[in-house]
Amino acid sequence: MADISNDRTSLINVVKALGEYLTSEESELLQKVLTSMGKPFLDGYTTLADGEKDPRNLMIAFAIARVILIEFDISQHTETMFNILFCYFPITFRPPPNDRYGITTDDLRTSLRRCLGATPAFGPLAIPVFLEKLTAGSRATKKDTLQTMAFCFPVYGSALGRAHARKLWNALKLEIFQPVDLQTEEEALRATQVLVKTIYADEEAAVESNDDVHGLARDACEECIQILKEPEKNQANAAIKILCSFISTTPSVSRYTISQAVPHLVKLFHNPDEAPTRVATLTLLAELLLAARDSQVKSRTSEAEPAVLHYKDEVLGVFTVGLQSTTLRVAALPGLKAMASTDRLLTDEELGFIVHRVGGVIESDLDGFEEASETILDLLTTISDRAPRHIFEQTLPLLFKSLPDKAPSREATAEREKCWQVLSALQTLCIQQELFENLVIRLTTKLDLICLPSHGSNGTIKDLELDAAFAHMILKTLAQTLLTKVKAGHPDVPKYVDQLLPRIFDIFISSAVLSTEQPMIATNSRLLNVAAEIITLVLQSLPPSRQQSYSMGLSKAIMDGDTTDIAQDFQKKSSARKLDFFGSSTMNERNLLALLAAAVIPLHKEVHLPIGDLDGFLDTLLAFVTEKADTDLQRLSALHMLSSILNRRADELSSFLQDKLNNFWDREVSDRSVSVQRRKSAIQAWTWISKALLVRKHPLAMNFAERLFDVFGDETIGWDAARAMGDIPAHDSVLNKANHAEIKILYVQKYVNTILPRLIQLARDANSPAERTAALVALTSVIKSIPRAAYIHEMPSLMPSFCYGALICPMPDIRCSVIDTFLAAAEGETPEKNMVSEHSSTLVNAMLRNIRAEKMASTKVRISALRYLGGLPSIVRYDILHPYKPTVLRELAKTLDDPKRSVRKAAVDARTNWFKYKG
Amino acid sequence: MPAEIFNPNPVVFSTSKSGKKPDLPPHSVWISDDPESGENDADEVVEAIDQEEIFDLIRSIYDPEHPNTLEELRVVSAPQITIGQNHVKVEFTPTVPHCGMSTLIVHSTRLSTSPSVFFCVGLLTFEYDALLPGLCIRVRLLRSLPERFKVDIFVKPGSHQSENAVNKQLNDKERVAAALENPVLLDTVEQCLVNAGARGNPV
Repeated sequence: MADISNDRTSLINVVKALGEYLTSEESELLQKVLTSMGKPFLDGYTTLADGEKDPRNLMIAFAIARVILIEFDISQHTETMFNILFCYFPITFRPPPNDRYGITTDDLRTSLRRCLGATPAFGPLAIPVFLEKLTAGSRATKKDTLQTMAFCFPVYGSALGRAHARKLWNALKLEIFQPVDLQTEEEALRATQVLVKTIYADEEAAVESNDDVHGLARDACEECIQILKEPEKNQANAAIKILCSFISTTPSVSRYTISQAVPHLVKLFHNPDEAPTRVATLTLLAELLLAARDSQVKSRTSEAEPAVLHYKDEVLGVFTVGLQSTTLRVAALPGLKAMASTDRLLTDEELGFIVHRVGGVIESDLDGFEEASETILDLLTTISDRAPRHIFEQTLPLLFKSLPDKAPSREATAEREKCWQVLSALQTLCIQQELFENLVIRLTTKLDLICLPSHGSNGTIKDLELDAAFAHMILKTLAQTLLTKVKAGHPDVPKYVDQLLPRIFDIFISSAVLSTEQPMIATNSRLLNVAAEIITLVLQSLPPSRQQSYSMGLSKAIMDGDTTDIAQDFQKKSSARKLDFFGSSTMNERNLLALLAAAVIPLHKEVHLPIGDLDGFLDTLLAFVTEKADTDLQRLSALHMLSSILNRRADELSSFLQDKLNNFWDREVSDRSVSVQRRKSAIQAWTWISKALLVRKHPLAMNFAERLFDVFGDETIGWDAARAMGDIPAHDSVLNKANHAEIKILYVQKYVNTILPRLIQLARDANSPAERTAALVALTSVIKSIPRAAYIHEMPSLMPSFCYGALICPMPDIRCSVIDTFLAAAEGETPEKNMVSEHSSTLVNAMLRNIRAEKMASTKVRISALRYLGGLPSIVRYDILHPYKPTVLRELAKTLDDPKRSVRKAAVDARTNWFKYKG
Repeated sequence: MPAEIFNPNPVVFSTSKSGKKPDLPPHSVWISDDPESGENDADEVVEAIDQEEIFDLIRSIYDPEHPNTLEELRVVSAPQITIGQNHVKVEFTPTVPHCGMSTLIVHSTRLSTSPSVFFCVGLLTFEYDALLPGLCIRVRLLRSLPERFKVDIFVKPGSHQSENAVNKQLNDKERVAAALENPVLLDTVEQCLVNAGARGNPV
C-alpha cells in the first residue's frame, strides 16, 4: 500500500513541477504549447487525480488544480473539474493521533477552498452544494461552508449573487437568528456581508439616492426593521447585528441602512407606548453607532462626513434624555461614548454639553453615579482625549468640591466610601496632562492641610488614624495615576520632580521633625511606603543627566541630613535642625530613610551618587541594618539602597564583597552567640547582597547564595536562610528594568541549575530532620518565585517531597505554596500525559486534609486545596481516580458549609467538576 | 435541539453585574494597599450564606430552549429567593404559561431503550417547560448547598397554567430522583448547567 501511495506521490510531484514551471514567467512559450494541447492534458489529469485519498497527495493535487483552473481553458471540463473537487467538500479529515506528516484539517480546508474559489465557472454549480451542506451539516461543516462561501462569493461575481440572493439570504439568516453557536453566527454574518458587498460593489457609482437601493439589501433591511419593532426580544439582537454588518459594506448600502434603522429606533424611543422597551432601544442604537464609527475608521475616508451626521441632533437628544433617567442611564452612556469617539461628529460645544449633562448626573444623584460610575468615567475619559477643557472646567471642580478637608468620622462609613469613590474617579480621569497637573496641585494642597495643621490650631486630641487613612487614600490616588502615566510613557512625568517631589519630602520631613513635639500623621509607615512609590515613579522617568544633578541634593540629605535641596520650604516650618540618620536620630527620622532609598533605587548606572568612600558607606548601611534599625521599614530601606548601589557598581566593590564572604558571614550569621534578631537581620542583608549580584550574573553571586546552606541545620535561623534562598531569585520592585538596574538575561536559570538539584538531594537524604524541613521550606520558596518553565523538568523528582510537604508541614504558608506549586505545575497537563497520576491517591488525601475549616484555619490554604482538588478530574484518567469519587463528593459536601464565602465558592466549583467526572 | 420551539423569541433583559470587591474593606478605615491580599487569612468572621450567594449559584444556568441564562430571561431573580436558618425557598417564572419542552423529552425518551425511561415518563407528566428549569435549579442547589438546608422550589403564583402539578413534582424527592435516573433527561440538565459556575460573569 505504502509503495503505491509513494508512487502516486512521485507521479503527482512530477505533474506539480510541471504546473509550477507552467506558471513561472519565462516559460511563456512552453505554456502556449501546453495550453494548446490543453484538452488531452486535462483529460489525463482528471483521470489521474480522481479518487485520491492520501492527504499528502491531496495537498499537492489541490495546488495543481488551482493552477489548472486559473491558467488553462477549462470551459470543456468545468463539470469534470467540479466533480473531482467538490466531492471533497466539506473536508472531514481528522489527522491520526500519531500523525507524522503534520497535515491538519485546516490545511486541507484552505487549499480546497482556494480551488473552489478559483474560477467563476463553478458558481452556478457550487451554490446548491453550499446551501445543502449548510442546512444538513454539523457545526464544523456549517462553519467551513460559511467560510468557503465568504471566500467564493467575490469570485463568482455579482450577477450570480443577485440571482441567488433570496435563497442564500434565507439560508444565512437562519444561522443568524437561530445560531448553533457564537462562532457560526459570526461566520454567517461575515458571509452575508461579503454577499452584499459583492452584489452592490459594481453598481456603487449608479446609486445616487436611497431609492436606488434594490434587491437583497433593501429586503433584508426591511425584514430586520420589522423585527426591531420589538427591540426587547431576543431576535432584535440578531437583527441589529445584521444591520451593523451592512454598515461596513458599500457606502450606498451603509447609507441606506442607517437611513432606515436610525430614524426607526429614534421614533420607537419617543413613542410613549414603547416606554418599557427604552433600555433595549438605546442599547441597539448604541450598537449601530459603534458599527458606524468603526466602519468609518476602517475605510479611512478621512475627509468624508460621518455616516450618522444627518441624524446627529435627534440621536443626541435621545441619549441625553436617557442620561437623565436612572433606569436608562446605563444603556445611554455607551451610545454617548460611541458618538463622542466618532471623528468629526460632535462639535466642541456639543461635547461640552454632554459633559455638562453628565456633571448634572454626578451632582444630583450620587447613588446613581455609583451604579453607573464606570461607564460614566469611560465616557468622560473618551471626551478628555478630545476636549480636556470641558472636563477641566466642569467635572473636576465638581469632584474636588465633594472631597472634604478633614477625614470623615469613624462611624461615617458611607462618607468614607464616597471619598474613595471620588478619588478613584479622579484617578481614572486625570491621566491627560493638564488634568493631571490640576490633580497634583489640588491633592498636594489637601495633603498639606491634613498632614501639617497650622501652628495656631489648638491641640485637641483627634482621631489621628482617620486622618492618616485619608491622607493615605490621597497619596494612593497620586501614586496610581502616576503609575498609569508612566506605563503609558507620558512625557510630562519628569517635570513633577520639581512640582511634586519637594512638597512630598517637605510634608514627611517636617512631620518627622515635629513629631517630637506633637503627634503627626505623616510618620505612619503606610503613608511613607506610598510616598516612596511616588518618588521612585517620578525619578524613574528622568534622563541620566537630570538624575545626576538631582543626586547632588540627594547625597547631601543622606550624608549630612541637609534636605534643603530636595524639600521645599522645610526651613520655614521648623527650626533648621539637621538630621543624622545613622547617628543620633529618633525612630520617625530614621523612617525617612525609606523616601531617600526610593530616590536612590531608580538611578541610572552612569549616575554616581556623591557619597565619598563607597565601601565605607555600604558598611555604614550594613551596620545600620544589624545594629541600629528598629523597624522592618528601616532595615529594608537601607538594604534597598545598598542593593541598588551594589548592583550598579559591583566592579569597584570587590574588596567589600570579599570582606563580606570572609568576615561578615562568620561574625554576624554563623556565630551562635549573636542575638537571634541580629542574625536574622544579617541574613536579610545577605539576601539583598546576593540579589544585587545575581541579577547582573556577577561571578560571586552563587558563592553568596550557596553560603546559606551552611545554616540550614541551625534551629534558630535555618528557616530564615531557607526562605532567603527563595527570595534571592524572586522578582522585586527594586532591582528591575524600570528602575534601570543592571540585569542580564537568564539569571534565574543560572540560579536554578545550581540550587535546585542540591535542594532536592538535601530534601531526600539530609542528616537531620531540621535540615530536611529547611530544605523543603527552601524548595517551595524557590519554586514560588521562579517561572514554571524553570523547574518543570525537575517536577518528577520534586513530587515526593512535595506530597510530604502538603501532608505534614505545620506552617500554613508553606502548605499553601506547595499546593500553589501543584496548581502551577498542573497547567497544560492532560489525562494522557501528566506527572501526578502515580501520586494521585496521596494527593487526593493531602487535599482532603486541607479543606475543612475545623482542621485548617487558613482560608488561603483551603481555597488552594479546593482548587487543586477540583482540577484533578481534568488531568487524571477516570479509571485511576474513580474509587475516590464518593469520598471526595462526601467530603466536599461538608465544605459547602464553610464559614467563608470564597471557600464555599471554590468547594461548589470543585464538587461540580467531580460530579461531571465520568468514564 | 427540539424541532419545535415554543417561545422562539423571548424577551431578553439586561443583567446586573456581579458584585466587585470594594477597595475599602469593611471594618477598616484604610484602603487596602494590595487588592489581592485584602482578605484576612484566618480570622473568625463567619460569612453566612445569603440571598445573593444562592442567586449567584443559579443565575447562569442556561434555559433549556434558548442560548440565554435564566437570569437574562428573568426566570430567576435575587428577590425571588428567601433564606432562613435551614430553609431556602426559590420562586421562578417560566417564560411561557403553557407546555413546552414536553415533546422533546417524550420524543427522545422513546428512542431510548432503558426501562427506567418509561417509568419516568409516567411520573413526569407534560409540564417540562416549567419542570426543566425547575429541575435544573433543584440539581444545582442539591449539589451546591450544605445538606442542612431544606430547599423548596416554586413556580411564581399565576405564571403557569399547571402551577400546582409542577410545584408538587419539583418538591417530591422520589420523583426528582427518578427523573434523574433518566439518562436523556440528566444529559439535558447537565447541558443547562454547563456554565452555571460563571455566576453572572461573561463566559
